[in-house]
Amino acid sequence: MKTDTPRAGRRFRADGVTKLLFFSLFAALVLLPLFRMLTNLSRESFDKVFGSPVIGEILQNSLLSALAGTVISVLIAYLLALAMQRTAIRGKAFFSVILVLPMLIPSVSHGMGLILLFGNNGILTRLLGLSSGIYGFPGIVCGSVLYAFPVAFIMLSDILRYEDGAPYEAATVLGIPRARQFFRISLPFLARPLVSVFFAAFTMILTDYGVPLMVGGRYKTLAIVMYQEVIGQLHFGEGSVYGLILLLPAVLAFLVDLFNRGAGNSAFVTRPPEPSRRPAPRILASFFVIAVSLFTLLPVVSFIILGFAENYPTDLSFSLVNSLVITALTAALGTALGFFTSYLTARSRSPLSSLLHLVAITAMAVPGLVLGLSYVLLYKASAVYGTLVILIMVNTAHFIASPYLMMYNSFCKLNGNLEAVGETLGVGRVRMLFDVFLPQSAPTLLEMFSYFFVNSMMTISAVSFLANASTKPISLMINQFEAQMQLENAAVVSLLILLVNLALKGAVALLKPSFLKKRRQKTF
Amino acid sequence: MDALKKTVKLSLRGVSRTYGGRAALESVSFDVYEGEFLSILGPSGCGKTTLLRILIGLLPPDGGRILLDGRDITSARPSERNMGIVFQNYALFENMTVLQNVAYALALHTKDKRGAREEARRMLAYMGMEEQIGKKPAELSGGQQQRVAIARTLVLKPEIILFDEPMSALDVDTRIALRRELKKLQRETGITMIYVTHDQEEAFALSDRVMIMENARIVQLDTPEEISLHPANDYVRTFVLDNLRAKVESIRRFVRDGDED
Repeated sequence: MKTDTPRAGRRFRADGVTKLLFFSLFAALVLLPLFRMLTNLSRESFDKVFGSPVIGEILQNSLLSALAGTVISVLIAYLLALAMQRTAIRGKAFFSVILVLPMLIPSVSHGMGLILLFGNNGILTRLLGLSSGIYGFPGIVCGSVLYAFPVAFIMLSDILRYEDGAPYEAATVLGIPRARQFFRISLPFLARPLVSVFFAAFTMILTDYGVPLMVGGRYKTLAIVMYQEVIGQLHFGEGSVYGLILLLPAVLAFLVDLFNRGAGNSAFVTRPPEPSRRPAPRILASFFVIAVSLFTLLPVVSFIILGFAENYPTDLSFSLVNSLVITALTAALGTALGFFTSYLTARSRSPLSSLLHLVAITAMAVPGLVLGLSYVLLYKASAVYGTLVILIMVNTAHFIASPYLMMYNSFCKLNGNLEAVGETLGVGRVRMLFDVFLPQSAPTLLEMFSYFFVNSMMTISAVSFLANASTKPISLMINQFEAQMQLENAAVVSLLILLVNLALKGAVALLKPSFLKKRRQKTF
Repeated sequence: MDALKKTVKLSLRGVSRTYGGRAALESVSFDVYEGEFLSILGPSGCGKTTLLRILIGLLPPDGGRILLDGRDITSARPSERNMGIVFQNYALFENMTVLQNVAYALALHTKDKRGAREEARRMLAYMGMEEQIGKKPAELSGGQQQRVAIARTLVLKPEIILFDEPMSALDVDTRIALRRELKKLQRETGITMIYVTHDQEEAFALSDRVMIMENARIVQLDTPEEISLHPANDYVRTFVLDNLRAKVESIRRFVRDGDED
């Protein structure tokens, strides 16, 4: 924008300065730590990692288990999304809650659920008198599927919800058989989004150390090796190398998604295909949904059985309070940061906006473990190290991308002339932000808060290298109990996290309608 | 308009603006008279929206001067120009009621909040919106939303109101009804109105004078009658013919359906 008049110039500068300020904030939260980790890479560490006789095996293990877990997760997720979106099965509301329950507990809990059920002393192993074969590859794949399929399911449900039904109707009228319709209509429509979903699930599984920690046994993957190098042996150099290896596919996934996002959006109003009411697909779909629901509920049931079977000397209230403080502050600060940043990027366009937008979503490309290690390296000597502050910082950075995008999209949908109206009415930008933009964003703000809260409550990745005895959040107690072979305690912790997150989700579900009622649908 | 009591309200002198090397406005000069209804007519990309944004102060011109009552307002803030604007999609505050929308800016500038609300209520009553006072914009029809948008600027007592294609989101019947209301409003308040549109029928029906723009320049600025009788060039002639065609259409409609206008 040209700025000849002094006033416009001043306004323009203020806008630029604010954006630079936010940019530096994101630089401190994401870019600088990452940069620090990359500068920590040394020839010596590379030699150690790649000179190790087991590196080939580790890479192969990671790739195989992540690939298997991803394929199964995406397949289950697609079938689930089809069942929920394209057939008229009963109890959709109920299942849509059950199917995303796994997203409310840490990955390590999924692994633990498998141990409790199928491990050497597992409930089902003993009940059925089997010998356990869960440790290693099958366990990692199983646990990873539990961990990743709900995310893929939500993504695919969203995609199917916006698929247009018209081509199917036309095809049916023309007498084109179902199978052909799938290959000629469904697949081409799905192809690009499916790539995004696939990459997202793959990175999630590849960079997770929680499941392998529990059920991996001697089957080592990259993430678990990185975790053990840093936590167990304080080998930051080798940790950085592993971090770099994990960063690569995550960055690739990020780029693929960035590329796909722009392409997939069509502005047309579409009506999805009518859900099938024929009995055969309905029954089939019901069975499938019930089966997957049981699969997701089993570990939770095992926590309950084990958790209430014995007494606990361990007092968990200390780490629970830690967690609640970290979580509440991350959610509040993260939501505020996301709100203001997206206002700057979505509501006043400039080259700086694009830069700020990019840095705000960059965190999506950084796996939690990598971010955690980067924070250790950059902030080791600083005053925030070893306090709750750094845990809040790392969680905010780790989870900011999605909530930021939620708000960004919602700001983009608001009328483009609002700022101009404010200017002509003599209402300042800040005033407009609080009187007009903030009230209209209430439902989105609530969603952002909930996203930050749930994820900070259950995360074990970025925080694992940064927490100490006095700042440890409750999710990391699972790791500790695992190391001490106290699975009952770990089960209680998992249950506790689930309950807190469920309570928050419930509160959000209750609050949301009252926010939405305030902005009814447009009626012309 | 009575030719005898024309006073110049707004005056542009050599106003220009380029966008990325392309001229969006090439040294445009014209006067707007007090109490006049002036339409700016032209296809998209002719510079009319740029001109409007420069007039209200949302966009600084590269060169030239803008005078309001002889006072230079070229670099004044939008809120210091005593002008109001009604946008194409109205940009109402969706989180506020109709009354709050209209009272909001007024209440912000005064200590007398109750007075501001009363003033807003009066203005809405004048616009025939009393029944809708407690509703949210999303509950209103397009025409009602436009009335709220007009009331929102009117309540600040502007000397000039600018309209940025305010009818384009509405259906034909609503358009014709609102057109009449707008004309009546202008007669009653005597406020100078500048109306940007690409609809020649609308421009000719509403305006005291029409300004036709093409390629960042003014092609002709005159009364609808003069333009119809003496189009400046072929480009304007097509506009006039289109307008005639529309007139014939509406007469046909009247003959067929007994519909007026």
